[in-house]
Amino acid sequence: MKISIVADFDTVTGFRLAGVREAFVVDSPEDALEKIKHLIKKEDIGIVITTERILDKIRQQVAELMEGKNFPLIVEVPDKDGKIEKKVDPINELIKRAIGVEIKV
Amino acid sequence: MAELIESVNPTRMELLKLKTKVKLAKKGHRLLKEKRDALIVEFFNILEEARGIRRRAERSLGDAFIALILAQSTLGVLKVKEVGLAVKETHEVNTVTRSIMGVRVPVLEIENEKRTLMERGYSLSDTNYMVDEAAKKFEEALAAVVELAEVESSIKLLSQEIKVTKRRVNALENIVMPRLDATVKYIRMRLDEMERENFFKLKRIKTSQERKEAEATA
Repeated sequence: MKISIVADFDTVTGFRLAGVREAFVVDSPEDALEKIKHLIKKEDIGIVITTERILDKIRQQVAELMEGKNFPLIVEVPDKDGKIEKKVDPINELIKRAIGVEIKV
Repeated sequence: MAELIESVNPTRMELLKLKTKVKLAKKGHRLLKEKRDALIVEFFNILEEARGIRRRAERSLGDAFIALILAQSTLGVLKVKEVGLAVKETHEVNTVTRSIMGVRVPVLEIENEKRTLMERGYSLSDTNYMVDEAAKKFEEALAAVVELAEVESSIKLLSQEIKVTKRRVNALENIVMPRLDATVKYIRMRLDEMERENFFKLKRIKTSQERKEAEATA
């Protein structure tokens, strides 16, 4: 399966250098959502890489789109400006839901 | 007291049936509890792993961005973009699934992650060392990101399974089992009551018969 990237110009350029062909430059989270929607429908995409800055704004919608699906895996990475302070840390959120208590790891 | 199961006849047959059901529920409850505990242990193991991988991926990507910026500053942003478009696609991921406590989680394998200079496919004559470095760093970062995707999706799937198992355990513990117990108790009491009633009837009949016989002989 293919790897795909939906991100800002620099991140996309970088991953293109690494040989990712399904690369899409987006300007806004809404754009990104459209693209991700499109990619989820395609059968041959294994991973969608996107940036934290983008995914943080559309996390809810993407989660709804991925409901009941295993592929593609959506993975967020920091962009060239580094990590951001997220509204909710998705991993901590999962822990809270699964175990019932909040644990800082 | 918990609710009764509706429309149940207080008979011995029903009581026997219910008793096997109670046994089954208890067994299921124990097994599910064990499954839940095992899943949670597994979940924390993977969690630990994921934190490490995320940190590694972030660091590797940070290095890659520095290399990219250097390349862009020496060759120009557009030229680097052009180079990026020329790079051959070589990355495919193979997906297989692995089972953790019956949960199918994906395992990703990336093909051909490290490429030589010639395999990348852009022209070497009008690019420089910085571009090669950036491409190399981004290849490394990509491998780390793929690994990250794998563990994070495992975490997601495991946490879902934990949630489902927990709900089942709680449903058995708080609803199904009390209800079964209450129904068993109700049937027992009804049967006992019927027995007492019968006993009393027999006594009654016996005394009245004895009285009749006494009157007859008198």
